[in-house]
Amino acid sequence: MSSISAQGVVERASAELSKRINGLGLRSGKHHSTKGSVMERVTNVFCGGGGNSAAAVAAPPEKPSRLLPSKSTKNSSVVAKKQRPAPSYLSWDQLMADERFLTRFFLYFSACERCVLAQVCTRWRDVLYKSPRYWSGLMPVLQCREMRDSQGNEKARLYSSLLRRGFHSLCLMGASDEDALDLVNTFPLASKHIHTLSLRCSSISDRGLESLLDHLQALYELELAGCNEITEAGLWACLNPRIVSLTLTDCINVADEAVGAVAQLLPALYEFSLQAYHVTDAALGYFSPKQSNSLNVLRLHSCWEITNHGVVNIVHSLPNLTVLSLSGCSKITDDGVELIAENLQKLRSLDLSWCPRITDAALEYIACDLNQLEELTLDRCVHITDIGIGYISTMLSLASLYLRWCSQIRDFGLQHLCGMRNLQILSLAGSYSFVYFGGWHLQLFHCRLSLDNIQWSIKSDPASAYERTRTNELSGGVKRVIRLLEGTPPALPRDRIKTHSLSTCYI
Amino acid sequence: MPTLGTYKLQVQEKLLQVARLVNKCFKTQMPNIKLQSSDGETFEVDVEIAKCSVTIKTMLEDLGMDDEEEEVVPLPNVNSAILRKVIQWATYHKDDPPPPEDDENKEKRTDDISSWDADFLKVDQGTLFELILAANYLDIKGLLDVTCKTVANMIKGKAPEEIRKTFNIKNDFTASEEEQVRKENEWCEEK
Repeated sequence: MSSISAQGVVERASAELSKRINGLGLRSGKHHSTKGSVMERVTNVFCGGGGNSAAAVAAPPEKPSRLLPSKSTKNSSVVAKKQRPAPSYLSWDQLMADERFLTRFFLYFSACERCVLAQVCTRWRDVLYKSPRYWSGLMPVLQCREMRDSQGNEKARLYSSLLRRGFHSLCLMGASDEDALDLVNTFPLASKHIHTLSLRCSSISDRGLESLLDHLQALYELELAGCNEITEAGLWACLNPRIVSLTLTDCINVADEAVGAVAQLLPALYEFSLQAYHVTDAALGYFSPKQSNSLNVLRLHSCWEITNHGVVNIVHSLPNLTVLSLSGCSKITDDGVELIAENLQKLRSLDLSWCPRITDAALEYIACDLNQLEELTLDRCVHITDIGIGYISTMLSLASLYLRWCSQIRDFGLQHLCGMRNLQILSLAGSYSFVYFGGWHLQLFHCRLSLDNIQWSIKSDPASAYERTRTNELSGGVKRVIRLLEGTPPALPRDRIKTHSLSTCYI
Repeated sequence: MPTLGTYKLQVQEKLLQVARLVNKCFKTQMPNIKLQSSDGETFEVDVEIAKCSVTIKTMLEDLGMDDEEEEVVPLPNVNSAILRKVIQWATYHKDDPPPPEDDENKEKRTDDISSWDADFLKVDQGTLFELILAANYLDIKGLLDVTCKTVANMIKGKAPEEIRKTFNIKNDFTASEEEQVRKENEWCEEK
């Protein structure tokens, strides 16, 4: 009888314990104690080890992990330790040369800032040059005049350093035909590795351009800016069908014929940017049906001769545009915008800056028809008023809105904008009529929910914005807003202001 | 054969042992540990706070929790002034969510230092550097992050020579190498 009850005690106790131990086991499972887990210790006690775990060594072999002798657990912990890098203390000098630290540290800088860091010491240079990721977003710009004085091997070193850093783009500044030929001769690997070429302010002739483009067999992006020797015949001669992105800016000989060459020779063109005063409406009718599928991005900057007829040609030949800029095409009127709105339904970005003939009516067309528009630029459209802003405020997909120097916009118009939930960038630089932010700051505090995603025109928290070297980007009006925010009204907790990531202000 | 009485006694004794052990295990769930600085000062810290240092966490896991209550973790590379700062930082940030995984390719912002951290790091340059060393050694990601941001902001916009001076780095370029590396980098522009 009594022996049954003794057994009962043990059973009850072990049941009770296992409940608690199960809970424990979960928690203690995280750390692999060298002294053995709780389970192990309890088992030891139960197995009558007399408190001496070494006695429990005579363990059943089926469960070796539970009942490892303490010696071997110690060994296993030594193994575990070896697997992890032992925490080692670095002195300051060691830290400044430690690759693991430096690769992380350099992430706190922009690619431009890293250019300075690479000049600090060889160690920093080598760590930085090792990873192309540190250099994305930058393009090497070779100053050809300065290059002419350097030795052949210096040039070779320069080119190899460009490849080491993973650059695939190259800009030649002030290049002559000789410089172009020199590059062909001294930089053989460019033919494989250079994808983007930019020629700026160069006296290079058709012949030089041709030999360069012959050499650069992997090129698909070309920019010619301020190359006044290049003729339209030269473009006919050297443009090749690999090119998918072409920019022609400020080249005196570029006019309608050049657009003809582009339309004819570049069937895969995706992006075309043109800034040429003498291009006429007729040129915009040259695009072939092939290009109407491929060409997505068209930027016509300061093409002063273009009128609404040119817009007719664009909407007929290029119905698939997603990005269109007519910045500075000052003859465009509301009728032209109506054509765009009716026919280019896929537009995501539209730039009508410096088109002073545009009025609120154009904004009504845009707001009614361009449902996919995400970015709208209306800088210097001086006839736009609060009524036009009212139309725009109904565009739910709009994420970026640029209204710089739109001098007729008042606080009333901005009140409309406060309801745009998807707006992330709003630029109001140079709009003097609310330089005092009249009732606007009150508005701001009342509408804080709807302002959640707006990026005000300053970076980070107000205090550091003052200290930033880029403060020349801030206007008086913006600083006033910072001061208002610093006042921290109870409705708008300071922490929330800080979390708004603020974008750069273009003034 | 043991008598019934001795058997009962034995069982009771075992149960007591087990109970003591279990109790102890529960107690050690949220204990304090002691950290000892290089100059011998000990700081009693909640284990969970101390574990924001991966180095200490690993140490505890590898060594196991000692049976004696008076466990002291020696930190021979951190002096008491810095250790006090580190503990202050870790205590303030103990309930922070774990930092998101790094995107190894993305430039990190440096203009988002919280105002508490900014005040906390209003220290002389030597202390700031020592905090970086301690954060690196103790492997405290958040503290290393915010101190690196502060230092990065300090050297942004400075010339290479000024950076060398600030960080006490020797210029080991030869004259021609220096000219070369200058060209390689000054001739870079944002696309």
